[in-house]
Amino acid sequence: MLTAVKNQMRVCLLSIKYNMMREMVNKVTFLTNVGFMVLNNASFLAQWVILFRLRGDVGGYTFREIMLLWGLVAASFGLSHILFARVFSLSDLIIGGKLDAYLVQPKNVLASVLTSATDVSAIGDLLYGIVLGLICSPGVGCFFLFLLFTVTGAVVFTAFALLLGSLSFWFVRMDLLQSQMVMGIVSFGTYPDGIFKGVSRFLLYVIIPVGMAVWYPVHVMTVFDAGMLLTVLGYACTLAAVSVIVFYRGLRRYASGNLMEARL
Amino acid sequence: MPWRKYMVIYRSVLLENLQYAANIVVGFFSYAVFIYTFIMLWGYMYQTPGELIAGYTKEQMIWYVMMTEMIWFGSSASSVAREVSTDIRGGNIAYLMNKPYHYTLYVLAKYTGGWSIRLPMYAMLAVVIGTALVGPLPRFPLAAVPAMALCVVLGLTINAVLKMCISLFSFWIEDATPFQWLYDKLLLIVGTMFPVEIFPKAIQPLFKLTPIYTVCYGPAKLIVDFSPEKCVEILAVQAVYLLAGCGLMFLIYGKGVKKLYVNGG
Repeated sequence: MLTAVKNQMRVCLLSIKYNMMREMVNKVTFLTNVGFMVLNNASFLAQWVILFRLRGDVGGYTFREIMLLWGLVAASFGLSHILFARVFSLSDLIIGGKLDAYLVQPKNVLASVLTSATDVSAIGDLLYGIVLGLICSPGVGCFFLFLLFTVTGAVVFTAFALLLGSLSFWFVRMDLLQSQMVMGIVSFGTYPDGIFKGVSRFLLYVIIPVGMAVWYPVHVMTVFDAGMLLTVLGYACTLAAVSVIVFYRGLRRYASGNLMEARL
Repeated sequence: MPWRKYMVIYRSVLLENLQYAANIVVGFFSYAVFIYTFIMLWGYMYQTPGELIAGYTKEQMIWYVMMTEMIWFGSSASSVAREVSTDIRGGNIAYLMNKPYHYTLYVLAKYTGGWSIRLPMYAMLAVVIGTALVGPLPRFPLAAVPAMALCVVLGLTINAVLKMCISLFSFWIEDATPFQWLYDKLLLIVGTMFPVEIFPKAIQPLFKLTPIYTVCYGPAKLIVDFSPEKCVEILAVQAVYLLAGCGLMFLIYGKGVKKLYVNGG
């Protein structure tokens, strides 16, 4: 059992490694993509400089906390798109009947699908996020928490996308909903929770997991709370487990599109 | 009639988009997320009723963002950039450049067919959300709507032309997408999220020379705070930008196709 898991992990890592190597064939394009993504993210600094010129706090957050928020969203988003980029287009695979190629391989289907693509520009997101985390963390402990929450955030991003993408086994046009809901985490997550009130705040903790992916972690990094930390860890594990169960339930309903294609 | 063929392309894309109008409705979610976030954000930033920030009331500021985001989402100019980049990188350009139309005008005709359905739908959504959550714009001049519409149409056409110019660089570099990101962020942060007046006075004249003034700030400013003098000024600058942008687009395309190598296939 342990050997099988180890082998599976090895195959996944190799798959990611070869994805990266393929993307690095043209080095100029690779470096431009990564470098410009860092610049792209950094341009949003201007937005917050302007807002903090108008008021001393935004939604109860200081400038440093907003940067931690941004760093965490960028790093989590980046990590999930480097390792599991294919999950964000899972609906297309299911609707187009393109899962056949993964079903016939002697590997775990889900792991094989998830690790079959890498988004190069996401390296820029991850780098930018980690640099922001390093600069804005008040101490070493906080930075380690930042790294831990980058992983839990990436798990939440991936699991949420997997859950919504897997609904394509039952419903059509889930691709649009999947991409919009996942981008909803980024859109809401880059603003402080203090500006949202009432029902919307509740929904952002329950329906779109912005609270668990970003806001709770930033609260823990600002004022450590073991209960909140365990809640985030528990939530990430539960969401991951539920999304995997839903994927395999849905896979039973999968019908091939008789599409002939070769994966090289 | 050289424009007739482009009208046929426009009409066919328009009809195709009408078939898939329901897909556009699904896209409303992202627009609603942005607008809701900005309503909450500006609700927090304005501490007292009637307060002015950079000369804008809270209602004007939110309507400004709603209008610029409406142009952004309703025009979907990124489709132009994506199409041109894909055609050049994939080699499809070799087939399209031999057709009896100019490739760039063909893409622009398709783009116009796309926003002709999408933009009015987003405009209706913006009016509904704005009226329900923010309240109607005070002293909105209904008679000036045609002038505002012309300004919006010119703005999103200029945006498409400039994005196409960037994508045409794919003839020389493999992927021009990163340059699109920077161009988009310039428009998004300086002209879409905030009006130009919110920036330090020293750099405001500089922004008025950039596409920000013609693509997003100008049209949105006219909608939230219309004045005939401002309208004439913005339309004049847009005309100059459109002519210069089209000239640049034809120039880059002309030079780019000379660099095209056909590898067979």
